[in-house]
Amino acid sequence: MTIPQEILTNLVTAAEEVFETMVFKPLVRLPPVESEASQRESGVVASVAFAGHRRGIVSIHSSLEAARDIAGAMLGMPSESVNGEMPDAIGEVANMVAGTFRNKLAAVEPASNIAVPTVTVGSDFTTKYSPTVRRARCPFAMEGQSISVELILIGDEPAPSRPH
Amino acid sequence: MRFLIVDDSSTMRRIIINTLNKLGHSECLEAANGREGVDRLASSLVDMVITDWNMPEMSGIEFIRALRANDATKKLPVLMVTTNAAEDDIKEALRAGVNNYVVKPFTPDTIKEKIAAALGA
Repeated sequence: MTIPQEILTNLVTAAEEVFETMVFKPLVRLPPVESEASQRESGVVASVAFAGHRRGIVSIHSSLEAARDIAGAMLGMPSESVNGEMPDAIGEVANMVAGTFRNKLAAVEPASNIAVPTVTVGSDFTTKYSPTVRRARCPFAMEGQSISVELILIGDEPAPSRPH
Repeated sequence: MRFLIVDDSSTMRRIIINTLNKLGHSECLEAANGREGVDRLASSLVDMVITDWNMPEMSGIEFIRALRANDATKKLPVLMVTTNAAEDDIKEALRAGVNNYVVKPFTPDTIKEKIAAALGA
């Protein structure tokens, strides 16, 4: 079972809004990738879980260099000067993307609750999930760098219902 | 004007302070959660509080309830800046006593407008 296109559109739009408004770096959409894409190139993964009407995870994947650029742009400082600030900054980006995505879904279905961000920094690692999850990765170009936003949904598509 | 910024994300505190600086407000105190915010207000006077919702130790909603229960801070203007934007979220924040509400992501113009609205301008 795949993730419905309207769900992915909400995720992509949420990411674009956050990067445009808070990171000051517009994103250029690339075609989404369904299935378990390789993550070995990722230096930084910031994830926010959500639960309620839907359960899953929203993750931002980027290189270490791109994550430093994002942090520098948000904080108004040169990316070369960014060091300890990066994990909190990229975690806040994930928090805002997941929160905006959640708000868009809450307009048409019961709201889910989001958790605090977790940030993993390193190389040569992969994230594994149960084979029953649905996952899709939405890649973007950001001023010559590549980042992606991943959505993992746990369980089947919930029955349609009205928001509270 | 003097502001107290309450957010567990140091990045978001910095973004809000940078935004306030651009709007001509240079006096900003910081706290990483509601508990620290209460402690800050026990020893410092401010004109407005800007707080996040989801924080460890004491959430933004608990923090606002604590302010409204204290004679010294019950009328202090409070602006909430959060990703929580569902209708029920906003109702809960208003019930707790927030004066106005900003949904992340936000622009400096939004912060300016909401500060003015929270002050009743």
